[in-house]
Amino acid sequence: MSTETAPVDPVAVDPVTVDPVTVDPITVEVIGSALTSIVEEMGEALVRASYSTNIKERRDCSTALFDWRGNTLCQAEHIPMHLGSFIAFLPNVRKRFPEETIRPGDVFIGNDAYEGGGTHLPDIVLAEPIFHGDRLVAWAINTAHHADFADRGHAHIYQEGVRIPPVRLYREGVLQEDIRNLILLNCQVPRERLSDLRAQMSANHLCVRRMQDLCSKYGADKVLAAGDALQDYAERKMRAGIAAIPDGTYEFADIFDSNQFPEPMELKVAITVKGDAMHLAFDAPPQVAAGLNVIYTGLLSTCYYAVKAVIDPTVLPNAGLARPLTVEAPEGSLLNCKHPAAVDGRIAACQRVADIVQGALAKALPGRVTAAGNGTCTGALFTGVRPDGSLWVYLETIGGGGGARPHADGLSGIHVHMTNTSNLPVEALELEYPLTLLRYELVDGSAGAGTYRGGMGLRRVYRIEADCRFSVEGGRLQAQPWGLDGGLPAEGARYDFDEGRVNVPGTIELKAGQIIELVTPGGGGYGDPAARAPEDVARDLREERITAEFASGTYGTASPEAKTKAMA
Amino acid sequence: MTWRIGVDSGGTFCDVCLFDDETGRLEIWKVSSTPDDPSRGIAAGVEEGLATVGAKAADVSFLGHGTTVATNALIELKGVKTGLIVTDGFRDLLEIGRQKRPSLYDMTADKPEVLVSRDLRIEVPERLRADGSVEAPLDEAAVRAAIRRLNDAEVKAIAVCFIYGFLNTVHEARVVELIREEFPGVFVSVSHEVAPEFREYERMSTAVVNGYLGPVMQRYIDRLQQRLHDLGLGATPQLTQSNGGVIGFETAARLPVRTVLSGPSTGVVAAQAIGRMAGFPNLITFDVGGTSSDVALLQDGVCKLTGEASVHGYPIKAPMLDIHTVGAGGGSIAYVDSGGLLKVGPRSAGADPGPVCYGRGNTEATVTDANVVLQTLNPVEILGGRMKVRRDLAVEAVQRLADKLGLGLMETAQGILSVLNANMAKAIRVISVQRGHDPRDYALMAFGGAGPLHAARLARELDVARVIVPRTPGTLCALGLLLTDLRADFAVSRLMALAPEALDGVRVGFRSLELQAAEWFESESIGVERQVVSRTVDMRYAGQNYELSVPMPAGEIETASFEALAEGFAAAHMQRFGFIAEGETVQIVTLRVEAAGLVSKAEFNRLPDAGADASAARIGAREVWMPEVGGFTECVVYSRDGLKPGNRIDGPAIVEQMDTTTVILPDMQATVDPYLNLVLEARS
Repeated sequence: MSTETAPVDPVAVDPVTVDPVTVDPITVEVIGSALTSIVEEMGEALVRASYSTNIKERRDCSTALFDWRGNTLCQAEHIPMHLGSFIAFLPNVRKRFPEETIRPGDVFIGNDAYEGGGTHLPDIVLAEPIFHGDRLVAWAINTAHHADFADRGHAHIYQEGVRIPPVRLYREGVLQEDIRNLILLNCQVPRERLSDLRAQMSANHLCVRRMQDLCSKYGADKVLAAGDALQDYAERKMRAGIAAIPDGTYEFADIFDSNQFPEPMELKVAITVKGDAMHLAFDAPPQVAAGLNVIYTGLLSTCYYAVKAVIDPTVLPNAGLARPLTVEAPEGSLLNCKHPAAVDGRIAACQRVADIVQGALAKALPGRVTAAGNGTCTGALFTGVRPDGSLWVYLETIGGGGGARPHADGLSGIHVHMTNTSNLPVEALELEYPLTLLRYELVDGSAGAGTYRGGMGLRRVYRIEADCRFSVEGGRLQAQPWGLDGGLPAEGARYDFDEGRVNVPGTIELKAGQIIELVTPGGGGYGDPAARAPEDVARDLREERITAEFASGTYGTASPEAKTKAMA
Repeated sequence: MTWRIGVDSGGTFCDVCLFDDETGRLEIWKVSSTPDDPSRGIAAGVEEGLATVGAKAADVSFLGHGTTVATNALIELKGVKTGLIVTDGFRDLLEIGRQKRPSLYDMTADKPEVLVSRDLRIEVPERLRADGSVEAPLDEAAVRAAIRRLNDAEVKAIAVCFIYGFLNTVHEARVVELIREEFPGVFVSVSHEVAPEFREYERMSTAVVNGYLGPVMQRYIDRLQQRLHDLGLGATPQLTQSNGGVIGFETAARLPVRTVLSGPSTGVVAAQAIGRMAGFPNLITFDVGGTSSDVALLQDGVCKLTGEASVHGYPIKAPMLDIHTVGAGGGSIAYVDSGGLLKVGPRSAGADPGPVCYGRGNTEATVTDANVVLQTLNPVEILGGRMKVRRDLAVEAVQRLADKLGLGLMETAQGILSVLNANMAKAIRVISVQRGHDPRDYALMAFGGAGPLHAARLARELDVARVIVPRTPGTLCALGLLLTDLRADFAVSRLMALAPEALDGVRVGFRSLELQAAEWFESESIGVERQVVSRTVDMRYAGQNYELSVPMPAGEIETASFEALAEGFAAAHMQRFGFIAEGETVQIVTLRVEAAGLVSKAEFNRLPDAGADASAARIGAREVWMPEVGGFTECVVYSRDGLKPGNRIDGPAIVEQMDTTTVILPDMQATVDPYLNLVLEARS
């Protein structure tokens, strides 16, 4: 069924037409500032009005404005991964619904990776057209990661949750209750879903109002022309950054491992820079029967993130930054999967894609790229039954070490690359779920050594207070985060259960009283450890981040002071 | 004679504002700051000011003081060596924070420096449960050992924060007792006193910042008190807090974290008083300094408090006026970025070398230079003639930008102002539209050295009908100190559904807060007739995570009070989010009591109407470039000092005074009100 419709080329939006309205660079900046404040306001409204811990505390959601043709005008700085859900959503809407049938007050909902433009099913997208007068000028669009669809299989996408193609949740302002009820019945925690969807609706409504005000103030033509100019501007900045890289092909490979799949896989990239354009060619094994596959738009958003972060972090997150980049990966492979591959944990592979893209760019731009960070997105998913018979689902993702920087140590206990969600306060966690957090700390000795060391990984130790089901997903268990320029690799991840089991795949039963411990990877080091400043080694030793043996063994040559301390 | 004195001590100047309660005479005195020991400059300023007006220290009935000592110590990381005692398993929480990296894309961005080094963060066995009950008792031997270790390390302050310490204070309080025994004299900052609120990281961060600043503040206050005492001052000095009220030195020394945002808050308080006096209770304040600008919104004369803010990267839970700061001001540098767009700030030329037109070697155009090129600012001299201006250098600098942009010189200069305005408009949208307020319902009060220069166009950008420029825009903070009540806020987190069963819990909660307020009134010697207590409840729909503040009706707490709370919450939720979740449980999160001790404030006299003719204040005319007329147009220049109540000025015109310049656009008029405020609006 899903294969009946022709696949949509997600980036084949209408070419940017030369607009008859010209805007000066100052008006562009003024309107650009207004667009940014609109998407930021949407993001705040979504977080504040939501109910699920994954959005209200962990802020696993994103907001954006697209122009009427489907180009990104502006995305709020939340979760880079979510751009993947945005870029293909509108093309899928337009494929199904002719523009003349789209009315003010329509709200489209969707999540499917193959038919809806999504990258995995929990990211449910809501999009609302913005009309100025009777003219469609733009789209308000947001996605929230609904922590639901727990305890499912991942042999193929049909096991992973309810698949929603773009359909109208509202038709000219009227809620389509049939649709809503069908979706909610397929969710394990419908009350949270309903409340979060309401928060998503309210965020889009705000965006519609603000954008209409902006169009009234400047005229829709001028706002759209400024939008085009902002995209051209992002493109120019990207091209300027790429042009500064010597022409050539830069390759990098790394092992992608996950506790969800028995075999480690090699992922490779060859980045070819020619003038002010960049081509990224990936090689990856065939798609797998696990929730690790990446849909093409997920690969694209990962490349946009990884290249922008190295070339120019200030480039506006709009469609213009994509224009100098071309991306290819074998069809049906892990990085460009086909129906019906499972995609739930695609972020794990995307994290490794970002690692290898930056690894390759490190060869092109020495001194500009960090060593590998924790390179995964360790996810813990708990689900159980409350005394009243309703289900509870709790998702958290745990950061780790950031890679050492060329001129500074890496950051400890952070998310890297495609995600940047918050932790849940212990005091909120224990109030809402039958879990007790016994320890939450940095892992001593987890950072990769170097002139600048990597960041430290995290340890979370939970006690289970009521029987529940649990799964953990993550990578860099064997494939340690690499160092750069002589820096050493960091320690990898480890998941321990008090029954002596480690790193188990899939969902398992946990009993009340049981203790589980999740340890995430550190970040790789940068530069020769022997060149680390003695006072930095001494500080790490004093602060118990490393042991005396490690100080004398790994850093010893550079640190007589640490040596003395180690011997004492 | 009884004099009231406001002293605002900043980085460059110390402003002293003297007000004679009997005659209404107002004098402003400026002296240079003495950053090595700010109390010296303050004492000098007070002494000189008093001498000038011919008063004695004994005549002073009130001294209010705003200081940046705590703020600067935090920014410059010049607090004291601090230790932290935490629940076993959580010493790294201070470093982990909320796990977010500081910038999504920029890997060079750093987290703020952790204020307690890891070896001085000591875990002790103890644990409370989510309902406040004790799961694991406090290991006192471990606590004593921890304190001794911190003593050996010679820390000057110890912060204490346990998981759920806000719900049950038993363990934290015991640790404080043990510290008194083991390490007398060390500054103690304990989470349930500093910020008794939900969310452990933010509470811990607040307790740590408070400890880190405590001894710095203590030392400062001791010195200042001594100097003021030596001057013969009898009045008890008061210090401003971030909540816009003042507080006694003793409390300020114990809770310095409550003063970290006190600087801008005094300006807002002054704006509030002036707005009320002039008949504009609904205000957006626009305070533009050299490197940054602050905006705030006052509805019905009240600026909302926020319970939490990030100050230089450190989350702080303390009652603060909801002030939004933007990293752009008059000294901000304009540049063309690699994509060809014009940007302004956040880099600033500072006071030295300052803008290009100061001729001190800076070659990068600033906002001030753009104003000099346009001649909105006096192209010959500013600061009442104290500073000569090199317009030729400003022109060269702006021309370089114009060449890069492919625009004309004047268009580029005007563009710099437009970009700055766009930044300011964005900041104002955050505090207005994002909070459910339409800026069109407000007047803009412009102050700070550069506020009145840019206010008219900003008002137009936001469709705001009126701009008010107070008489002394450059020293408004010092003036605000004369208009401020004593104020303390007390809060306690209590999670319960808004239902009759919660009545007792709410009553008990408020009773304990009111008791604390009573103790505070007592300690500040505030008589019953001067006491004002108001209560609010932070609420949300059960399941949400951000609360909205709703006033609790005065009097006994009954079922009807809960009905009023429910209605208030629904209205607030509708205003903020545009929907009401019918049938959903509303949850009480935090109870708050605000205690104010009314002080008799400076009262300003209404001056008699002197008629519309402003010609007596006319000091000249100059060509000013205005996009509204497409080029240079002649503007009459008036001296603010010569303007009288009732005077009317038609735009385009410029009003100059020592501390600022006001621009009146071509289709605007300005009238002088009975309090000498300048009110700008569209020409009638």
